[in-house]
Amino acid sequence: MPAFMSALAAPSLPVSLPFEAALAEMAAPLLLLDAGGTVLFTNARAAALLSCAEPVGLSLPVLLAQSGAAEPEGEPVLEAVRATRPARARLTLDGDRRVEAALAPLSAGGFALTFEDVTEQLRGAALARQEPLTGLCNRVGLHDRLHAALAEADRTGAPLAVLMLDLDRFKAVNDTLGHPVGDALLRKVAERLRKATRSGDVVARLGGDEFAILQAGAEQPQASEALARRLVDLVGRTYVVDGHMLNVGVSVGVAVAPVDGRGADDLLKHADLALYRAKAEGRGTYRFFEPAMNAQMQARRSLEIDLRRALALKQFDLAFQPQIQLETGAVTGFEALLRWNHPERGPVSPALFIPLAEEIGIIVGIGEWALRAACREAASWPQPASIAVNLSPVQFRGGKLVETVMNVLAQTGLDPARLELEITEGALLENTDSVLDVLNGLRALGVKISMDDFGTGYSSLSYLQKFPFDKIKIDQSFVRGMEGNAECGAIVRAIARLGASLGMRTTAEGVETPSQLDAIRAEGCTEVQGYLTGRPMPAAQAAALLSSSPVASPADAA
Amino acid sequence: MSQESPVSQPALNQDSLNQDSLNQDLRRLVYYSRNRVGGGPAAMNETIRGILAASRTNNARVGVTGALMFNAGCFAQVLEGPGEAVETTFERIQQDERHGEVSLLAFEAVETRLFTEWSMAFVGASQADAALYGDMAGESGFDLSRMTGNNLCAVLHGLALEEEAAAA
Repeated sequence: MPAFMSALAAPSLPVSLPFEAALAEMAAPLLLLDAGGTVLFTNARAAALLSCAEPVGLSLPVLLAQSGAAEPEGEPVLEAVRATRPARARLTLDGDRRVEAALAPLSAGGFALTFEDVTEQLRGAALARQEPLTGLCNRVGLHDRLHAALAEADRTGAPLAVLMLDLDRFKAVNDTLGHPVGDALLRKVAERLRKATRSGDVVARLGGDEFAILQAGAEQPQASEALARRLVDLVGRTYVVDGHMLNVGVSVGVAVAPVDGRGADDLLKHADLALYRAKAEGRGTYRFFEPAMNAQMQARRSLEIDLRRALALKQFDLAFQPQIQLETGAVTGFEALLRWNHPERGPVSPALFIPLAEEIGIIVGIGEWALRAACREAASWPQPASIAVNLSPVQFRGGKLVETVMNVLAQTGLDPARLELEITEGALLENTDSVLDVLNGLRALGVKISMDDFGTGYSSLSYLQKFPFDKIKIDQSFVRGMEGNAECGAIVRAIARLGASLGMRTTAEGVETPSQLDAIRAEGCTEVQGYLTGRPMPAAQAAALLSSSPVASPADAA
Repeated sequence: MSQESPVSQPALNQDSLNQDSLNQDLRRLVYYSRNRVGGGPAAMNETIRGILAASRTNNARVGVTGALMFNAGCFAQVLEGPGEAVETTFERIQQDERHGEVSLLAFEAVETRLFTEWSMAFVGASQADAALYGDMAGESGFDLSRMTGNNLCAVLHGLALEEEAAAA
């Protein structure tokens, strides 16, 4: 009997205790090795786990090899045997059993080697890191892999890239075709992402239509740029799902370690900022993080905070710009223009805050306020002039627009025929049918509908055919370009004639000089609005203008 | 069609075609895309023949037939078969970077197939390319009259010629 086994039966211990039987039958798999690593003893559990009927007498390297433990995995244990020190290692045995091996040198010489089967535990952990719909990594899994990759990158100095992805127009698919089609589409997107990446890359679905890719072991930023370009191409290609042809795009933001950040949180945040930029600059494209994005995001966030309180703090105001009938020179009405005067910022340009208000959704509240204020003002005028109010495409989405307009008309007592709601083509781009329903609902209230900024967007004539607009407003860029640019004149003329033949009035916007006014008149527009015929003015001045010059000539108004 | 030809395979057998009349979900998908296969005529030749061979083995199994036209400018393809199989085949094609700017022209339910096998043809005016690929249509049983008989397919043929001119 080897020295250490006789030590087990040392005189100080009660001789009657059946140590050997206990070891043989205990639940934990156990091997006893001599100092050279040859197996002296094995219990039944260990023999079963290692799929070896008779391990006794085998050397540990042979036993491990027989049990399927791959070469590099077993090395730390063998090394520890040679050095007579403790070790822990995770081994993969035949049949994909994953075990945690613990080697402990014994004081009497030799080693005890115990195993814990962690297969189920690891499988559970893997499932907890997997996103069930697509089988991709989830957010937790991505964080784990990113932390590990960053630690590795720190050691080797190799760069790595994080790509954040957002699908464009996915919500429309889900909304119009339902979740089963949306889910099937997400699975196809996931498959294309897998296909576009290399086997070492980590592809994750973070939720909804957000994905992320971790790209390690490649030259940066070249590799991530090439990948981003492929993703935009591949993910943006048409899908056929369940008989439907679907088109979604993808926007991609990229951050590269260590230049853009050394920590996981920084990298993810910076990739997100780059993604935000890609979306802001038209979607269906990719952007790399730049340090300036941080400052720009701060500025935007601070503007957002101010904008969110502006309504409650009554910082909005309306200016009124006269609209003049070309034939008579009379003021036919005013367009209400939103103004934001911030105590510290001063006047903030609508071109700056309206897109932000639309993006964060508060345009609905602001728009309702503007509508009510404009109608209340118009109801107090001495003349029944018209009042034009702009509607944002976002206001059409809530399904409450008709009700809101009805309430405002009832509360202010304004004759519905005096209210002109101006929409841009943008409102008609998404869900044209439901927008047309709303427009018809508004028309049924008796209000007029104008097509604003015509000529700059898609200028789709089918919109003019789908809804009988009361008025077309010709974008100011054409009016300004009329002098010295024959094409602009031709466009104004064409729109004016189109309006005339469809029974729609046409307003030329942005008239600044008498010669522009003459040209507009010659082309056959019915109305004009611009600095020449009247700048935007405060409410009191607009009311005064109406009472003083009911049939004002354009020159008087200028 | 020459049965001995290396790129030739038998058409779907009569049973499969009979299945079509029972199959309520026979679909035709038509697309064209930019040809991005680079590397000169020899590499292109190899790639094109590889695509035809792969199309046949992958698609015959799932009952998808059709026609692939190509030239230096573009690929133009018609896929016909059960809806789900056509979707799967098209998705595989969409993941292939050897072409790009895919325009999906139609995905429609049809009563019968225009193409009962896999065929492939070089369509173009380039003399050099015609010399390289001219035999392929014959080998693979490509029948242009089937295409010109169908409006959409005729359009596709026209597009292919334009793309070649643009790529030249």
